[in-house]
Amino acid sequence: MRNQIEFEVSGRYALFTDPLTKLGGEKFSYQVPSYESLKGIVESIYWKPTLTWVVDEVRVMKFIQTESKGIRPIEYSGGNTLAYYTYLKDVHYQVRAHFEFNPHREDLMYDRNEFKHHNIAKRAVKAGGRRDIFLGTRECQGYVEPCVFGEGAGDYDEVPEIDFGTMVHGISYPDETGRKERETRLWRAKMQHGIIRFIRPEECTLVRKTGEGAVKAFSSANMQDVDSLYEEMFVDGGSE
Amino acid sequence: MSWLANLYKTYENHTRDVGQFEKKKNNREYALIPVSHTTQSAHIEVNLDGEGNYLSAKVIDKNEGSTIIPCTEASASRTSAPVPYPLFDKLVYVAGDFVQYCGEVKGTPHTDYMKQLRSWCESPYGHSKVKCVHEYLAKGTLITDLIRDKVLWIDGQGKLIEKWTAALEAERGEKPDIFKVIVSDQSAAFIRFAVQVPGEVESRLWRDPSVQQSFIQFYEMSLKEKDLCYVSGELLPYADKHTSRIRNSADKSKLISANDSDGFTYRGRFRSSRDAATVSYEVSQKAHNALKWLIERQGITVDGRVFLVWGIESLDMPDPLGDTFSLYQDEDEEPTGGDSTHKEFANQVRRAIGGYRYDGNYTSNVIIMVLDAATPGRLSMVYYRDLNKEIFLDRLQAWHETCYWQHRYRKSADNKNITFIGAPATRDIAFAAYGPRANDKIVKGLIERMLPCIIDGRKIPLDIVRSAVNRASNPVGLDEWEWEKTLSITCALVNKTFEREGFEVALNTENKDRSYLFGRMLAIADVLERRALGREEKRATNAVRYMNAFAQRPSRTWTIIQSNIQPYQARMGTDAGYYNRLLDEVGAQLEAENFTDKPLSGLYLLGFYSQRNDLYTSKKNKEIGTDIEQDQENNEQGEII
Repeated sequence: MRNQIEFEVSGRYALFTDPLTKLGGEKFSYQVPSYESLKGIVESIYWKPTLTWVVDEVRVMKFIQTESKGIRPIEYSGGNTLAYYTYLKDVHYQVRAHFEFNPHREDLMYDRNEFKHHNIAKRAVKAGGRRDIFLGTRECQGYVEPCVFGEGAGDYDEVPEIDFGTMVHGISYPDETGRKERETRLWRAKMQHGIIRFIRPEECTLVRKTGEGAVKAFSSANMQDVDSLYEEMFVDGGSE
Repeated sequence: MSWLANLYKTYENHTRDVGQFEKKKNNREYALIPVSHTTQSAHIEVNLDGEGNYLSAKVIDKNEGSTIIPCTEASASRTSAPVPYPLFDKLVYVAGDFVQYCGEVKGTPHTDYMKQLRSWCESPYGHSKVKCVHEYLAKGTLITDLIRDKVLWIDGQGKLIEKWTAALEAERGEKPDIFKVIVSDQSAAFIRFAVQVPGEVESRLWRDPSVQQSFIQFYEMSLKEKDLCYVSGELLPYADKHTSRIRNSADKSKLISANDSDGFTYRGRFRSSRDAATVSYEVSQKAHNALKWLIERQGITVDGRVFLVWGIESLDMPDPLGDTFSLYQDEDEEPTGGDSTHKEFANQVRRAIGGYRYDGNYTSNVIIMVLDAATPGRLSMVYYRDLNKEIFLDRLQAWHETCYWQHRYRKSADNKNITFIGAPATRDIAFAAYGPRANDKIVKGLIERMLPCIIDGRKIPLDIVRSAVNRASNPVGLDEWEWEKTLSITCALVNKTFEREGFEVALNTENKDRSYLFGRMLAIADVLERRALGREEKRATNAVRYMNAFAQRPSRTWTIIQSNIQPYQARMGTDAGYYNRLLDEVGAQLEAENFTDKPLSGLYLLGFYSQRNDLYTSKKNKEIGTDIEQDQENNEQGEII
């Protein structure tokens, strides 16, 4: 696919919190990463407001295992409390994603240079991402490396299908939809031979409104375009 | 599928069990509760006729008190604020003359109760028998009737007696039944009703499915607010509150709690819990009721931590925490003890597990769930696995076939010692590693850590094996039987750790491993001395006494043991010849550069066990391939050969 990157991400622990267990604070992980958590990882690798990333598929390389830990969560008003968080242990995924230009970002139209962004993204994957990578929650550090999607043996290659039932797909933010609402999307996740093929966010039919928001405006006041920066830095056109 | 969806599916698969009481071993009843219902233990049963007249009442025996009662979301989670249950409730709610006998109360519990009951009766789903109850209670004479019928008791001032004292006993004689079933005072009595209509068999309203259905429909009607369910993905009436009392009736912790707004859980991105996630009322009710039922039915609780294994279609699954012997119990299988070959043993395990296999459903799943609460209010899922049934059974079979040894600590139904080959139970592993007085907290932690070893075929954590090896190397600190038990369990763990090398209980004379050979030498020294000591002498042999030191510094300790058994060799004279020859033989297999003080690995226990077992098995029996009858306590085996 056009503008596509492929990478593998691994870590010792992961916590893709099941929202039902998030309410009370005894967090329990989904069995597989949600679309939104993978999108977050891709955005940590490389992102510009000009782009929206679309995660195409993920391949689960290792058996799903859980491990619980006693955690001391932070309370608003101080004091001590204890909770059990259940993490996924020893995770390894291959991810395929591609970017598209954000149609709601007409203010950044001038930045829509496919080759530039694709090459930067590929370099960022090679460098292990631009920002820190985490698997679901901040305490679960992840590591990104380039790979060829589908290469190597996965633990679920022989399993025809696993149905994960209804899962959170992700959250739609105003700058992705153009609406002044924040929406949570659900979908029915299925894994075939270790691969989950995500539907696109706008294909999700189970959507509910879960908050408001507004699009952040970008203009010359809070952003500098690269050509003017170039001219500023190299007054003579950089010929020296 | 997600955990809640699996529980929901389990409920749907067992709807024919809804409301059916089953008895546990301790005579307590439990049931799969219908939606919008819960259980309570009732104290007084009131019988009415079809016109709403009082007939009789009686105090209910403690074992029969368990009652399925209809409940609303608000009443299910009521605390100090008075919220009535729809039909059966405490005196303060149901009795119109409560104030007269017990004094003032907070709020208007009876009025609230009557209002709720009336709206049920007047709804299109009203039930004729429930109307009888309403008709009777509207008269407001319940306590008066109960006092007249000698169910409740009043004192001189015409108030209900709070406590049955010795003075009252002297005055009025024997303690009335009501004080035997209620811990606090009489006013806390919980009432249930039966309506006797001629021609109808089921008078007990709490067992009548038509009453239950009537309430379910009535309550469904009152749930108007719909929302997207995060479990089923459908637009359904939404559950505001979720069930507590999941592990037992006194347990206040919830799996899904929504009242936590003091911690950094969902706030930031969401304003209310409802923004963060919603579950439909139906799914929440059914899933939680199924979970409660499963825990009552087949859960194992250690220090508040519940271990639960079930199949979504067929509930009963072999217990992954049990030992191999418990697998056979359901079969008519007689476990072959002694030195049966590994192949024979493997066949046996296969047969025992095979019983769970071919029931026609190949896509069925097995769920392993462990629940625990870190704080009193919230229940957490500590472990969850959703496995294909075939994979689960394969893994279980592999566990029993690889983490195995010969054990003698189990007793059969007729209290005879049993020798069986197989894997030890997880709880026994905990005792082997941490001693019989191990704290429950440690035991439950170990059980959770062992689960991945059994279910995923992972390596047993080294610290557990090491701890067991250390305890098994210290026979002096333990009773004879306890040490034997620890030893055979440790052998199973060590065998699993060295799985690839394929050790068996039968002695392997070819094995040149340093630790194995040292273990064999120790066993020969032990058997030799035991024989020389004779049947009466019970004291520990030198080999056993020096076992711990031997494991740490084999070469140096061996010289001590050898010099100490010298007198016994001398005493036995030519009888010791066989042992001496065997010692020389084993010693010769040990390479000179291996005869050092480097600590022995756990393998030496396998060498020790196998060699000792071999020596205690008579030649004759070896030839026909069966084991001799061995008496554990007397350890008299030294006489044979």
